[in-house]
Amino acid sequence: MFQSREELEKKLAEHHYLIDRNVATVVYLAVKLQKPLLVEGPAGVGKTELAKALAAATGSRLIRLQCYEGLDEAKALYEWNYQKQLLCLQLKQNQNKSWHEAKDDIFTREFLLRRPILDALESTEPVVLLIDEVDKSDEEFESFLLEILSDYQITIPELGTIKAKSVPLTVLTSNNFRDFGDALKRRCVHLYLDYPTFERELEIIKLKVPGINQLLSQQLVSFVQLLRKQNIKKPPSIAETIDWARSLLTLSVSRIDADIVQSTLSILLKYQSDIDQILPRIPSLLPED
Amino acid sequence: MLFLEEKILEFARLLRKGGVNVSVTQVIAAIQAAAAVGLAKEDFYTALLSTLIVDQMDQPLFDKLFRLYFFSLESSVFEKHTDHNEQETDGATAALQLVDSIEGTGMGRGAGATPYLLLVKAVRETNYPLLRKLGKMGIESLGDLEQGAVAEIDKLVDQAKVAIGWYQAVNTLEKIRVQEKVSEIRYCKWLDCLSFLEKYMESLLEDLLVRKFGSMILEEIALAANIREKEFFRLDQLEIQEIRKQITKMARKLASRYARRYRRAKHGKIDLRRTIKNAMINGGTPIRLKYRRRVISKPELVLLCDVSGSVAVFSEFMLQLVYTIQNRFSHIRSFLFVNTVDEVTEYFTNNSIEEALDKAFAKARYAMSPFSDYGRVFRQFEKEYLPTFSPQSTLIILGDARNNYRHDERDSLQRIGEQVRKILWFNPQPQEEWNTEDSIIGIYAPYCRQVFECRNLKQLEEVTEAIL
Repeated sequence: MFQSREELEKKLAEHHYLIDRNVATVVYLAVKLQKPLLVEGPAGVGKTELAKALAAATGSRLIRLQCYEGLDEAKALYEWNYQKQLLCLQLKQNQNKSWHEAKDDIFTREFLLRRPILDALESTEPVVLLIDEVDKSDEEFESFLLEILSDYQITIPELGTIKAKSVPLTVLTSNNFRDFGDALKRRCVHLYLDYPTFERELEIIKLKVPGINQLLSQQLVSFVQLLRKQNIKKPPSIAETIDWARSLLTLSVSRIDADIVQSTLSILLKYQSDIDQILPRIPSLLPED
Repeated sequence: MLFLEEKILEFARLLRKGGVNVSVTQVIAAIQAAAAVGLAKEDFYTALLSTLIVDQMDQPLFDKLFRLYFFSLESSVFEKHTDHNEQETDGATAALQLVDSIEGTGMGRGAGATPYLLLVKAVRETNYPLLRKLGKMGIESLGDLEQGAVAEIDKLVDQAKVAIGWYQAVNTLEKIRVQEKVSEIRYCKWLDCLSFLEKYMESLLEDLLVRKFGSMILEEIALAANIREKEFFRLDQLEIQEIRKQITKMARKLASRYARRYRRAKHGKIDLRRTIKNAMINGGTPIRLKYRRRVISKPELVLLCDVSGSVAVFSEFMLQLVYTIQNRFSHIRSFLFVNTVDEVTEYFTNNSIEEALDKAFAKARYAMSPFSDYGRVFRQFEKEYLPTFSPQSTLIILGDARNNYRHDERDSLQRIGEQVRKILWFNPQPQEEWNTEDSIIGIYAPYCRQVFECRNLKQLEEVTEAIL
């Protein structure tokens, strides 16, 4: 898929996803060792984006499974299509077939509804399987994932074991909302994505908001970086920095001052209590020249 | 290659000493990963980190052991040259900067005599080479170190701080901040400098010890850094914050397990209405049976927390844990005491947990002297609050039962025990010390359903999993 880490970095950059050397190393390892990649980190640092960029960079199809509480194997792996089976039985009612023949008829792949994971394993083209927010699913579901993630296979009682045609590049993301099982974690290569450094965020802004001037982008990034160090409920994510940069550009602001920050702060901070806390302190939080 | 494999194995063993759970599969993955990325320092580090560490909480320990094991240890031929280089360039710039600073403006006079002015200067200018130089000065001032020093690293770092005038410098900086109305953005940079220097001195000291005494010391450092098994009252501020995060995650795990049990059951009584409704899809044949939810009893919980001295941290953790999963209980009431007891339930109703804890500790009247008096508290508790509890409630007492040689009032506890469903006692004191000195847990134990030793995060996790 990728011959070297440098190639991976370059290809992701071509798809507008910039990564640091250590992140590239971990992703490269996951590909090379054919292990799932578990990405953890605060909300909005680009965990899901990473999977999307990987799919784009390798020209593979992205299969996404969004986890939530109550997600079960019928929605994630496969399900038998009861209605269709029933219909089939009714049609064949008059043909006087034995039970064995009838059974063989209705438990075939034709009646199998493929859900994302089975879809990923059976795919003939290369795929990236994204299992988003694993920490939102429940403990039982984690156990289902174990067989898939370590051996890339699913056992369906009526059909037998289905092995992956080619090992899909699997990305799991987690917001660290709750602790989940060690067994699952041990099967993965770990990546902790943190907020980007000043230089990296500046590059991202330049890439995503073309036409922004140097001074403004530096000022706004250093302000956002400082906000993240404050004790607030929801620190601004990269997406919010980009939104803010776009808004400032639309307002044709060329440099930021206390007034403009005050009137646009709600783009960066989403909780009223955070805004209340930061608003009076804006003048002293602004970068000096 | 064999050499590298051995190194990684030994390193994994060291991590286990520090309380990190490393499996054999992970070690194999680490070896494969190291082979795949090569031995450049940064890549090698990333390879091991991404395969051996599964919990963010363990990363600081990993960083420390990685540095000490692969770079400081005498027997580690592996990357010695890199380390050497780093030191050389380091030293060179620092020396240069120092010359600069002495020749430079302003600070020249008196700078040699009082390092604290140098420190102030370094912080104000965010001059990292100078900070490093000062850090080295501080550590050198400690003189010759004994092997036992490893147990007192914190104390030694503090001594080194005093030697370079740390506290004077911090005071001066605070004054400057007020006088010159320093902006927050700059002040943040100052704080970064100070915390960098603190960490730098600690790492210098550890390096020094490991170089001098070898791998023995390394094991001790790993053991000392194991925050899962560290007694609650030994934790420093950073570790307390780390554990708070951990407790929140732990609580959510418990809560989600509960949610699962509350969902539609897979067995039990058949829910006829839903079964028939669902059968309509299949032309009236009930292919799938639907079951009714099980009703789960929600107990009422009463927490009685000793918040004197060494027990306070533990009580705080427990309150945080319980209020994070409050939907698990029909009602929680909480009380704080030292030698008098006060209810703090109201603070938790409309506040975030952190705010509630702050307010409860600041406003509640739980101490008239700093010495706990269990007897007096039980008597008061029985008189003022006991009649308001339902017989279904569970009372959890958090405390070390060290009564400062006062009257025990066991009858009072007995009467409390008869009024509630059960009493559980969580004791943060090590079990070896129970019933020694002024600890009288043995006298109270017969009136409790169970008494648990709960002195570190690991035990807290075990106990709550078993109870809640």
